[in-house]
Amino acid sequence: MLSRFLAALLCIALLKLILQPFQSFLEIQIIALLYLLPVMLSTVLWGLIPGVLAGFAAFLVFNYFYIQPFNTLLVHQIQDLITLVIFLFVAVVLSQLIGQAREGIRLARSREWEATRMYELISALSGLQDLQSITRELASHTLETFDFDRIELSIPARIGEGALITTIPQESTSQDPPTATWPLETARGLEGEMRVWYSRPQLSAQKNRLLETYTSQGALSLERVRLTKGENKASILEESDQLKSSLLNSVSHELRTPLAAIKASVSSLRSGAIDWNTEARQDLLATIEEETDQLNLLVGNLLDMSRIESRAMKPQKRWNTIDEIAIGVATKMRKQLVNHHLKMNFEENLPLVPTDYVMIGQVFMNLISNSIKYAPAGTLISISAQKETDCLHIKVVNQGPLVPEEHLERIFDKFYRVTEAERITGTGLGLSICKGIVEAHGGKLWAENQASHFAFHFTLPLTLNGSLPDIPKDDFDE
Amino acid sequence: MNKEPLILLIDDEPQILRALKTILTANRFRVSTATSGEQGIALAVAQPPDVIILDLTLPDLDGICVCQQIREWSRIPIIVLSVRDSEKDKVAALDKGADDYLTKPFGIEELLARIRVALRHSEQSLGNKQSTITAGAVTVDLARHIVTLNGEKIRLTATEFKLLAYMAANADRVLTHQALLTHVWGFAEMDHVEYLRVYMGQLRKKLETNPDEPQVILTEPGIGYRFITSE
Repeated sequence: MLSRFLAALLCIALLKLILQPFQSFLEIQIIALLYLLPVMLSTVLWGLIPGVLAGFAAFLVFNYFYIQPFNTLLVHQIQDLITLVIFLFVAVVLSQLIGQAREGIRLARSREWEATRMYELISALSGLQDLQSITRELASHTLETFDFDRIELSIPARIGEGALITTIPQESTSQDPPTATWPLETARGLEGEMRVWYSRPQLSAQKNRLLETYTSQGALSLERVRLTKGENKASILEESDQLKSSLLNSVSHELRTPLAAIKASVSSLRSGAIDWNTEARQDLLATIEEETDQLNLLVGNLLDMSRIESRAMKPQKRWNTIDEIAIGVATKMRKQLVNHHLKMNFEENLPLVPTDYVMIGQVFMNLISNSIKYAPAGTLISISAQKETDCLHIKVVNQGPLVPEEHLERIFDKFYRVTEAERITGTGLGLSICKGIVEAHGGKLWAENQASHFAFHFTLPLTLNGSLPDIPKDDFDE
Repeated sequence: MNKEPLILLIDDEPQILRALKTILTANRFRVSTATSGEQGIALAVAQPPDVIILDLTLPDLDGICVCQQIREWSRIPIIVLSVRDSEKDKVAALDKGADDYLTKPFGIEELLARIRVALRHSEQSLGNKQSTITAGAVTVDLARHIVTLNGEKIRLTATEFKLLAYMAANADRVLTHQALLTHVWGFAEMDHVEYLRVYMGQLRKKLETNPDEPQVILTEPGIGYRFITSE
């Protein structure tokens, strides 16, 4: 500070020396104007107070050397007095004005810097969803902005989560107590603590304020993540609770029905009331066999569903032909298909598609059995496939009732039924398993109402790891 | 054969053993049972059966292991039992020497058919191999390299014939993808299931009366193929 005052005074003295040789032929008004120059310069360079000081010094020098009687501070003529007073006034006001403008610019610059830093921090924190990366970002931004030596952020342990300490720079260790400690606090409570180490004396009031904003911003982000996590967990728990209860409802109903039928059939066969070779006996035996198959299907569906849900469904993709899979399934389902006509329209020379044979077979089986369940007896179920630019497009069309548009997406949800559950047997899992399988293959499955048909569509990508199959050619054996 | 064939059941579930023993005895088979892999192997040595029915999940040894150990000294046909979704295990067992497989739960007709096929093949391996195999309208003459459908000669490519002949020679038995690929294209190509998909498609077009309802060449999903002559 002192050096600035001295510099201001030096400016005045320097001007005096420069003017020395010329002062005899310079008008007094010109000299007065020239003396305003160092005043202005001092204000611009060193600030308001050195400027004002320079103003006074200029006034004294001007009075002493240039106002009669020379070399005294006395003033004889009223005219000179007015000149002097005006000079003093102009010098002081000028330095004030310049100083204020300069201060304003400085303030605006530092506000801008503050705002930029703040913006950088907020945008860095905004997308983050876990505590670890938030503390890391907060620490590195603070370190950079305030030029600290070391920062340590500590988040206390909470239910379901351990304590977290982030230190930047990572390799630094320090036995000294921190220079300062700041709480990471929101209106709702303490989220953690920031400890900082630095060697420079004190943070300015402005930096202090900025650091406060930093810590509260960080605390808000930490709180946001914690709250969202809690909310997610709560909604997941609720969802899985609902799922479990609807699963239990569905499963117990679906298990009991075949079990009841089997039990009734077996006990009446054992009672001896039914003759060895009657039609009734054949019926009971057929019931037992069918219901056992139904139970087996249910268990399979439940297993598939749990595999899809736990993301353990990993298709073993091999090059397969879609018609072979569909025909295999149709052959296996001949018994269930007695009341419907199944027609297959496959284009000649369909490309091989990378699929898990068993899984895609299951998709066909579920789509066909869904069609059997809902389409009236005697109607046509048709399967077709055609090649599109980057996928194979497969359609399973039945003449069942159309599904209201608002249900079209939801029929692939677990346990979702358009009609009352009692009328249709099944697990309520078939279509959602199909969707899981097709999506695990990288394809899409959707349903569509056509003029008088109901259609399932699914697509399968044509390439496996970006390549197509290669089949060796051969010759005729003559 | 004057004696009824002996079947060895290796399964650790008493309900299954009880049911199968009752059913097989009623179908004129003699039955011995074992509840663990070790016991099963010991029994197979002490009293060699005509067919072994082996569950793949056993308390002590892996079923695949049991298969492998029995194959070290014997050609007794082995039929493995396992649950759905364990295609890998079934394929491993078949490639380690098992002759056929059944998925639990299975119908008893299926089991009896598999046992009959196994018995027939073990008889054939003793000597009198057939050189002409008939499956419905299809006849494969292995010696003269002639295939006919309804008496008319069918033109096959060299690879198609090699494939068909191998399946016909092992009629009614399941052949794994690996076995077929190794036999026809060689060891290096044993992972190229796509070759089979294409060639089986071509064979079906030439041999099946209605390719949408194959009767001769059956696909065993995830496992392989079966050439059907009967049932």
